[in-house]
Formats: sequence, C-alpha cells, structure tokens
Amino acid sequence: MKLFRFTYLRRDFNRWSIYTLAIIAFIVIPILTIFFKLFSGPGESWSHMIKYLLLDYSLNSLYLILGCTLLTLVFGVSSAWIVSRYKLPFQRALEWLLILPLAIPSYITAYAYAGFFDYGGSLEFLLRNIGLTSSKFSVTNIYGLIFVLSISLFPYVYVVSRAVFLYQSGRLIEASKTLGASEFQTFFKIVLPMARPAIVGGLVLVLMEVLNDYGAAKYYGVHTFTTGIFRSWFALEEISTAVYLSAILLVLVFAIIGIERFLRGNRSYEISGKSDFKLPKLALSPGWRVLVFIVVSIPILCGFVLPLGQLLYWTVLTFSKVASLSFVTIAFQSLGIAFLTSLLTVTFALLVVHFPLWNRIKLLSKSSHLAILGYAIPGAVIAIGVMIPTLHLDKWLIKMGKQMFDLDLGLLINGTLVVLIYAYIIRFIAVAFNPIEAGQLKIGKSLSESSRLLGKGTLKTFFKIDLPLLKPSLFSAFILVFVDAMKELPLTLILKPYDINTLAVKAYEYASDELVMESALPSLCIIITGVIPILFLNRLILNGTK
Amino acid sequence: MKNSHLIIAFALALGACKSEIKKEGITNDASKSEIQEVNVYTHRHYEVDQMLFAKFEAQTGIKVNVVNAKADELMQKMTLEGKQSPADVLITVDAGRLVRAKDKGLLQAIDSKLLTTIIPSNLRDEENQWFALTKRARVIVYDKDKTNPEQLSTYEDLTAPKWSEKILVRSSGNIYNQSLMASIIAHKGEDTAKTWGENIVKNMARSPQGNDRDQIKAVIAGEGDLAIVNTYYIGKLLNSEDPEEVKVGLRIGVFFPNQDDRGTHINISGAGVAKYAPNKANAIKFIEYLVNEDAQKVFASSNYEYPVNPAVEVSDLLKSWGIFKEDTLPLSKLGENNKKAVLVFDEAGWK
Repeated sequence: MKLFRFTYLRRDFNRWSIYTLAIIAFIVIPILTIFFKLFSGPGESWSHMIKYLLLDYSLNSLYLILGCTLLTLVFGVSSAWIVSRYKLPFQRALEWLLILPLAIPSYITAYAYAGFFDYGGSLEFLLRNIGLTSSKFSVTNIYGLIFVLSISLFPYVYVVSRAVFLYQSGRLIEASKTLGASEFQTFFKIVLPMARPAIVGGLVLVLMEVLNDYGAAKYYGVHTFTTGIFRSWFALEEISTAVYLSAILLVLVFAIIGIERFLRGNRSYEISGKSDFKLPKLALSPGWRVLVFIVVSIPILCGFVLPLGQLLYWTVLTFSKVASLSFVTIAFQSLGIAFLTSLLTVTFALLVVHFPLWNRIKLLSKSSHLAILGYAIPGAVIAIGVMIPTLHLDKWLIKMGKQMFDLDLGLLINGTLVVLIYAYIIRFIAVAFNPIEAGQLKIGKSLSESSRLLGKGTLKTFFKIDLPLLKPSLFSAFILVFVDAMKELPLTLILKPYDINTLAVKAYEYASDELVMESALPSLCIIITGVIPILFLNRLILNGTK
Repeated sequence: MKNSHLIIAFALALGACKSEIKKEGITNDASKSEIQEVNVYTHRHYEVDQMLFAKFEAQTGIKVNVVNAKADELMQKMTLEGKQSPADVLITVDAGRLVRAKDKGLLQAIDSKLLTTIIPSNLRDEENQWFALTKRARVIVYDKDKTNPEQLSTYEDLTAPKWSEKILVRSSGNIYNQSLMASIIAHKGEDTAKTWGENIVKNMARSPQGNDRDQIKAVIAGEGDLAIVNTYYIGKLLNSEDPEEVKVGLRIGVFFPNQDDRGTHINISGAGVAKYAPNKANAIKFIEYLVNEDAQKVFASSNYEYPVNPAVEVSDLLKSWGIFKEDTLPLSKLGENNKKAVLVFDEAGWK
C-alpha cells in the first residue's frame, strides 16, 4: 500500500510541485513562525484571560461577525442586483459610487461617525440650523461598530456580486423568464445560488477585515480578539498569550473558510464560454424607480458621503496647519509603495493559483490555500512574523560577510522596503487570490485542457489562453490590493523604513494623538488615491459588458 | 526549453526589482558612518518635536533620523534588532514604558552632570538609564455651571455614592489609566486598588469609550459630571480648530485631586539612550538639548506640557489652572506596577 503511494508520488511529481512548495513556503514561513511560538505554552496570564476576558472577547467577536455578515449582505447584494438589473437615473454614477466606501479606511469612517454624532458635532450643528434639538445618539458602542464596519466594507460583496450578475447571469435569467418564472423567483432560485461562491468569497474578505480591525474597535471601546491580542502582546508583554488568542482567532477564520468550502461542495459553476450576451436592463414604473433609487443611495450616503463630508469639514478647519511640501512627498511615497505592492502581490497570487493547477500532487494543491491565511492575521502579528525570520537571515548575512569577506555589514534587509513589501504580500495575497481564483473557476478547465490536448505547453497555454481571459480578474485584484495597501496601518508602523512615511501612518499619528481633525487631510488623500483606481476598475467592468 | 527560459526571465525580473531596493538600503548604511547623526525612536509625534529636532540639527550639524511608532512596537523592534539596532534614543510618552525598556535591557546608563542636576530625582531612573522631558497631570474636570468643585477632594473620593453614574473615564487599555492605577497600587497596595477600581466601575456614567477629549465633551454633554483626564488634552481642546471644542474647553473647570495628602498623579514623557546606540555621544547631546531652557520653553508654551527644567516657567494657560502639589512617587514605581495594574483592571471589570 505504502509503496503504491510512493510510486504515485513519483509519478505525480513534476517541477510545478517544487515551485508550488517554494511559493507556499515563501508566504507561509512568517505565519508558521508565529505558530511555532504556540508550543512554548501560554503565558502566566492565560488563566486570568480565561477568567475575566475571554467570554467578552468571544461574544463581541461573534456579534460582530453575525451583524456584519447580515448588513454587508443586505447592502452589497441588494445594491449589486439593482444596478445590474434595472434602469436607473444616474445609472453609471451609482455603479461606481457604490464601490467608493472601500476607499475610506474603516477606522477613519469610525472617527468620522463618532465626530458626526458627537456632542457639538456636525449632526447637532445641522439640526440646530433647521431649528431642531437632537436627543443624544451614541454610536460608540458595538452596534455603532457593526454599522460602521459594514458600511465601509460592503463593497467587497458588492463588487463580486455585480461581476457575477453582469458576466454570468444573462442567459440563465432570460431562460428562467421565458419559462415563466417571476422576477422574484428568478433572483432567489437562479441568480443568487449561482452567485453564491463569489458572494461568499467577498463575505469572507469582509469577515477577515472585521476580525482584523483594531482602530475602530478600540476607539468605540469594544473588546474583540484583536484588541485582546494587542493588549496581551503589548500591555501584558506576553507574546505567548497573544499567540494563543491569535490561534483561537485562526480557528475562527478556518471555520469560516471551511464553511464556505463545505457550502460550495463539489459543484462547478462553469458556463460554456464567457457570456457575451447582454441582458437588457428592465425599466421600472416611476414609483418603483424612486424606491429602488433610494435603496441604492443609502449605502452611498452612509458609507461615503457622510464620512467624506465630515472629513472635508475637518480639512477646511485644519488645512493650513497640516498641508506642506513634506506632506506631498508622503503622498507620493504612499502611491509608489502601494503600486509596487499591488504588482508583486497580484503576480504572487497568480502563481499561487496556477502552480497547484499544474502540479499533480493533490495534497500540495490543497495546501495552496494556506497562502491566503495572511489576511486573517492581524497586521502587527504578521509584522513580527516577518521580522523574526528576516532578522535571522540578516544576522546570518552579517556573519557570512564577516567570515568570508571580512566586511562589517549592517542590517541589509530589515528596515528596507523589501521587508515591508514582503509583509504586504503575505497580508494581501488573499485579496488578490480570491478574484483570480473565482475568475479561473469561471473560465474553467475545458479551454486550457483543449489547448494542451492540441499540443501547446503549459506556459504557452497560460499566456495565450488563461491570462487574457483572466484580465478583468487581474485588474480587480490589482486595484483591491492597491486600495488596501494605501490604507494599511499596523504592519506599516512597525516595518516601514526611517525615511519613508505613508498617508495612513500620518493620519494615524494625528488621530492617536487625539488630533482627529488634523487626520482629515491625509485621510482625504488616501480616499482620493483610492477613488481614482476604483473608477478605473469600474470602466473595466463596464467595457467587459459591452 | 522555451518554458524554462520564460520562467528564468520572470524570476530575474522579480529579482531585479528587489535587488534595486536592497541597494538603496546598502547605500544608506554606507553613508551613515560619514555623516554625524542620531537615530531617534519616538512615540511622540508632535509638530513641536519636529521643530525642536530641526533646531538641534541647525545648532549641532547632527542629523536627526526619526522613527515614529507606539513605544511598545518600538521596543519590540529594538529587541529583535538586538546589537544591530540603529536606535540611539528611545522616547516614550509615559514612565511605565521606560522602566520596561530598562528591564528588557534596551537602555544604558549615561553619565551626564547636566541631566542629573536639572531633572529632579523622582523624574529620572536611579541608574540614569532614562530621564523625564516633560510632565502631565491626571486631573478631574467638571462643568463649571453644574458642579461645585468644593465637593471634590481625592481620586479615592470618586468612589463615593454621591458620584454614582457620574464618572467618565476612558478604557483601561490606556497607559495613563494604567499608570494612575499603578500609583494607587504603589501607595495603597493591590487590594485597596482593586476595590477602588471596582467602585469606580460602579460609579461610571457609561462603559469606557473614546479618548480623553471625548470624556471632557461628555461632561459638557451631560452624560456624567466628572471626567478623569490628562491636562495636556485640556490644552489641546482649548486650542482646537473646531469652535465647538473650544466652547467645551471654556466651560470646564480643572481640579487637582489629593492636594491634602500625596499630591496629584503625574506622568512624564521621557527619553533614554539605547543599549547598542551607534552614536552614543550624539544621543546624550540630543537628550541634553531637549531639557535645556530653550527647548523646555518650547515644550511648555506650544504643547501644553509642564517643563521638567525648574528654571522654566509653566505657560500662562497651565498657570491659570493653578499651582498644585505633585505626587513625588518615584516614577519607576509606575513601571514596576504596570502589569499588576492591567490585571487589577480586568479583575475590577474596568473595560
């Protein structure tokens, strides 16, 4: 029996197996580093943690997961369906406006909301001007947090659902309608089940962001696993306790991913070829039109217009204090780093999707999903995970330099962009992986298999068949990573080189120094740099549908 | 054959990107030995600091390289970097972290007559590993129209039944609260401290949320009567760009607790020289510069902090709140009791 297995292994082994292994190792090593710390046992405060805090952390994290799942699905799927199915006024504008909340970091949205509903805040000011007095309404609690996180993260669900609705559903909807099903039945029986893998993929991203959130939860005084990790790591100085909490968090994430895989099962969602069939958009009666228009406007108003308005107001108040030449420099550094990060991350994600396809050892193919773990691990933890092995490498290089060439080297890798971008890749590869994998799933194997049957090699097939077909997914991936890299904070704080700063760090510095108003200008710049590629992404999806 | 060429080309392209970045790193390192410089790891990110650093550069020709992050992250970084750490100076915004840095062996003792004469002994490490730069007091604020300050006396009195559901204070994750708790543990012992924490929780007007500014606003909004905050943030509020915040600042009164016994709890922002500082002499010069009269005047006037240099007067705003008796507990105690404080908070249910 064993011998058989070994011969299988020998038969199935090819160079892609090595490449798969290499790339997985590259991404997983820092995560494993943290994981191995698990075996050094929990810290002395672990029993304290269980007695006083764990229940609180678990319940809050659970409420956040449930609340955000519900709200992001409602916001994301409803708006995606409405804009891809019905004729609306300002159709095009609505389509891209719905992605824009993603351009605002959720902790900034959280600050803006707190400021808006604050004593002496904008809401009170507005109400006073129209002659009303408000009763105090507090957002700084778990319900406020659920709302703020959902309203800033729902575009993950919106983007993927809309892509499926636009690309895939046309013929089936038409068929369903021809066979006499109502609009309602078509949506729930055909469209939604078909779009489910994509929607769940988007939802998983949302939940990972929710579990990773630190800034907003901390500001709103909600204790979650992530705030607990920071607390035990930094306030209690017990890495082992923090790692134990991280491990529980990981189990939670694994459970979510597992549920997704289980729900998807073995079903295949291939459709013969890309649907070039353009589904005619339905016209609605004036009453419905107004109603539907209001429904899609709500997430835009709450997720983008309101926080943006608050930030603009703050920027007007503090502009002269914050704006300077060095500020412009920081903006350009942010852009450059985000661009390089997206490029490399998408490349790696592409490899992580394809190497396992070409290798024949099943176990390896499955393990490629380990690569997307990074997104579930708090940025600060990844930073430490990256720092430990790269420092070992650095120290080894220093030793070798001394021994072989009698050179006194400093740290060659740490404190440079290399480490920062390495950590970014680990953190964001899931963001790029999901759309690329979904795209690959959509294309299916049949085309590339035919190509190879016709005698073309693996790589030739890849460059001639898969890559062109994957283009929309690749661009989506690039842009999602770009926006995320612009917003990333804890990891950047720890790993960024001396002479480089990013807008997110600048905004954080102000906000954590209780200068929330001053953080508005860097925040606005993050938003603007996020908005432009998003508009571009939207053009791309639109062109795809023509 | 073609396939492998492609892969190699691809790998080379990737490698090229990376080695370019690496080269930058190397040239940076190489130039370091020639230029006079000092590498500062700091938790303070105030405009006024940048101004002072620039002045220092102009005066001495020593270039100041700054890494900004939270003290805890900076300490992690220094620990991992070990002997290779480029850090010369570590600056934090509370005493507890400096003590921790010392305990972890991240700092070194320095010999500076100037620093030991200027800075009072309770505001520096007994082995001269760290020194205070500025002070802040943790005070009680109230609405001047609503609360009579004669009802106020001590931190302990805040647990009295008359303040039931009247107290506003931020979360226990905050270092200023941890240091306040650590000082109570140092003075009164752990059990009393825990009872104090439990009773404050009972008297809280709401579950802890937001920062110090938010507590002050909540007082004026009527959510509670009293807030425990740092003086520094009252100054910030009064000089805010938002007119609504200034209005709030003008309506509150400042009360310094425990004037009849140990004095009001103070905390510091301070600095120490890193254990493996490559530019030790520059680092000492740098810290000395920050406590000289000119620099201290700048701290006092533009950042609403109390100077540690006794020769420098406090700013008019700070003076208007009154002269007060400080708790002279050696600040190293705050660090020693920090972890206990965190645990006591959890046990008391202070979120």
